[in-house]
Amino acid sequence: MITRQFVKRAVSIFVAGAMAVSLAACGGNKEGSTSGNAGAVTEAAGSSDVSGKVVIYTSMYEDIIDNMETELEKVFPDLDVEFFQGGSGTIQSKIAAEMDAGKMGCDILMVAEPSYALQLKEAGILHPHPFAEADKLVFDYDPDGYWYPVRVCNMVLAYNPEKYSRDDLPLSMKDFAENDSMKGKLSMSNPLTSGTAYCSMVGLLDKYGEDYLKALGNQNVAIESGSVALTKLETGECSEIMVLEESVLKKREEEGSALEVIYPEDGSIPVPSPIMIIDEKYSANANIAAAEAVQEYFLSPAGQQLVINGWMYGVRSDVEEYPYDAVPLSELMKNTIPVDWEKCYKQREEIRTLLQEHLTVPEAK
Amino acid sequence: MMKKFTFDIKWILIAGIIGFLLVFQVFPLVYLLFRAFFATGHFSLESFARIYSYALNWTCLKNTLFTALLSMVFGVLIAFPLAWLVGRTNLHGRRIFRTLFVMTYMVPPYVGAMAWLRLLNPSVGTLNVFLQKIFGLAGMPFNIYTTGGLVWVLTTFYYPYAFITISRAMEKMDPSLEEASRISGASPLKTLFTVTIPLMLPSIAAAGLLVFVAAASCYGIPSIIGAPGKIYTVTTRIVDYVYVGSQQGLTDATVLAVFLMLLAMVILYVSNFVIGKKDYITVSGKSVRPAVVDLGRWNLPITILVGAFAFIVVILPFATVFMTSFTVNMGKSLFAAGNMTTKYWGIIFSRKSIIKSFRNSVFSALWAATLGMIVCVIMAYLLKRTNVKGKAVPDFLITVGSGTPSVVIALALIMTMSGRFGINIYNTMAILVVAYMIKYMLMGMRTVVSAISQISPSLEEAAQISGAGWLRRMKDVVLPLTAPSVVAGWFLIFMPCFYELTMSNLLYSDNTKTLGVELYLYQTYHSQQTASALAAAILILVAVLNILMNRLTKGKFSI
Repeated sequence: MITRQFVKRAVSIFVAGAMAVSLAACGGNKEGSTSGNAGAVTEAAGSSDVSGKVVIYTSMYEDIIDNMETELEKVFPDLDVEFFQGGSGTIQSKIAAEMDAGKMGCDILMVAEPSYALQLKEAGILHPHPFAEADKLVFDYDPDGYWYPVRVCNMVLAYNPEKYSRDDLPLSMKDFAENDSMKGKLSMSNPLTSGTAYCSMVGLLDKYGEDYLKALGNQNVAIESGSVALTKLETGECSEIMVLEESVLKKREEEGSALEVIYPEDGSIPVPSPIMIIDEKYSANANIAAAEAVQEYFLSPAGQQLVINGWMYGVRSDVEEYPYDAVPLSELMKNTIPVDWEKCYKQREEIRTLLQEHLTVPEAK
Repeated sequence: MMKKFTFDIKWILIAGIIGFLLVFQVFPLVYLLFRAFFATGHFSLESFARIYSYALNWTCLKNTLFTALLSMVFGVLIAFPLAWLVGRTNLHGRRIFRTLFVMTYMVPPYVGAMAWLRLLNPSVGTLNVFLQKIFGLAGMPFNIYTTGGLVWVLTTFYYPYAFITISRAMEKMDPSLEEASRISGASPLKTLFTVTIPLMLPSIAAAGLLVFVAAASCYGIPSIIGAPGKIYTVTTRIVDYVYVGSQQGLTDATVLAVFLMLLAMVILYVSNFVIGKKDYITVSGKSVRPAVVDLGRWNLPITILVGAFAFIVVILPFATVFMTSFTVNMGKSLFAAGNMTTKYWGIIFSRKSIIKSFRNSVFSALWAATLGMIVCVIMAYLLKRTNVKGKAVPDFLITVGSGTPSVVIALALIMTMSGRFGINIYNTMAILVVAYMIKYMLMGMRTVVSAISQISPSLEEAAQISGAGWLRRMKDVVLPLTAPSVVAGWFLIFMPCFYELTMSNLLYSDNTKTLGVELYLYQTYHSQQTASALAAAILILVAVLNILMNRLTKGKFSI
């Protein structure tokens, strides 16, 4: 059993894990101790001396990937980087089946949320690669270097100003669940199949207790995919939805959509998505040097820019850019609902039971 | 000497096919079951006890059973009269109707489900609002997010299985039996109930089985229509478990999938039982075109009724899909200023990956449908024309495969076909073809079995006596007589493979991306419009191909 510490850190503090001894759970605001260990000397990101092939499984938008492929070709001219795109759930089940078969089809994962990274780390299929500039990361990361946040999906509320007035709508996550006039007019992603929705519910569960889920259930909130929810927002079928900010921003920039984000008064729920390297033994191409270089590139300011172009927040305190029509990361971080990744992982069964009994199939209780 | 040789070919072929089924279908599914029973390293029913003792899962099982049964009943009830009207009467415009009724089958269910959702949602559904205004209703007349709504969408999507199966068989029917009934003084209606329907029983049973299995094991429609109304089915539950992404999640999903596999088997058994050991031979030596029933003064009213049905079930959702593909903001009318665009059509014709995916889909669906039909024809022959022990086993395997949810099939293939057991077809097109075959062969199998069971063996015996070998008899007697059904079966396999989503999504690789994967990407990543454009393009393409085929073969081969 590997013990693990989660080092939640404020922006300017230099952190690295002196070996974690305790299972310090609750991802609240804990400041890690410092040590200079994190700086295993690495080649500068963007080194072009890697070659061969690397396969990345990711749940990022396909159009972002197109851009990334072009950029990666420039940075790594001799390396063939191939993306496999799918929903988080699809990729996670594919990986589970591949693990059963004893061989993975990829070298790098950029998928899901930290609790999934904890699961994979424990399963022993990840390759650690300490990141020299971990001190610049705004979000939790693995002190042993098994995973780092690389992009942030932010759970917010959204509405359609062409159909409803902002003044009539709930402006907080709490009111979203409790405002009677919203009954039957709300929608959210399925927390049983979407990792970000699941983590968001864990955050809300910690903040407001089980009553929050009960209230949401009483609202008859429709559980469906984000794309369907956005369509319903557009047609006016739903008044307000809980959704990932990136999906709204993308629609605004690409289609000139009028849909608007509401940053909840009780806090947005930023869910960082990890980047992980598969252990050489299980990886598709056994190309560790290249995988490490690609990871470093994604964590570098240049790589982060690609993430931000894809309507997601970056993870570095020293990158000032932020997604189209969004707010700066530092602004966003002022008001957030924290999520306990350890709890997301360890208490998954109990929490899922709660979720399905309150939200999905309530009559079964 | 010659005789012995042909005898050998038959058995070599049959053995080859059974071997294929064993390796690529039985082994993966058995492996998955094995994992479920031996999750802890030794035999245990713990997973089964846990999954099936959970009240919530029972709710889902009940929902699946209920919705699939209703869809089956309604599907057959709708399909039979339509098939009869279109195939055996002088109904006005019956050719157009035939094309319309199979059209639904050419639209991916998840795209169609979105169309229904937009037409009948209880707050702003287009059709709802329209009806409300016309009749001055206080509230919305329909709510799609109910069990009734789910059954409606499932039925409108899966009745074409029944329609195609029944109308093919009807065309091949020997009219002399009906004529005899008429000559003996029975009215057309009485003839229908005492002669036609009983004679069609094998096809009706086959049709019911197809609709039931398709409705019970489908994921797209319940996830879009059911879930928002808290109507969860076994398939949505299975995906809940699978997406956890843990080994236990896989086991739980498998355990739940066993229910669907068993259900498919029960329905197969029941439908065989219904047919029993009766003799349904209706195709004998003299093949005459069935007599056309004159509808007389009923023709016009019935045409209007059928037309209304076609309008509601086919035209309306298609029109919605088409309009969506041109709409910028779906909250406004298509005709509002600046709200009409062709950019989504531009996207689907300009993206390199779509063209490549199109090619991959055509190839993999061609392979799956063709190989699938070869398997089906030979296995149906084995079932109906030989007395080998265990001849029903392939039929049973094919049925279980279809009853298994797509996601489970795909995961089983990843686990077993990626090198661990000596076969590595992971990340190739072969694994897609295998997956498609497992899932959709039933559609061909049922069609061919019901066709062969209507053909008198005397025809083959005559050929045999005249010295024709087995291959020759297949080529000159069995195939020509079953050709319409074989073509129909081929199409029934081809179409769902062509836009298949769930399995392709798990099994595709860089070089084998399919149209289903593209559709999924657009559907999920916030462009309903692009997905609609792609679906509409597929629809147009298939419709044009169908018309061409119809023209080129002078009406012999059309769907």
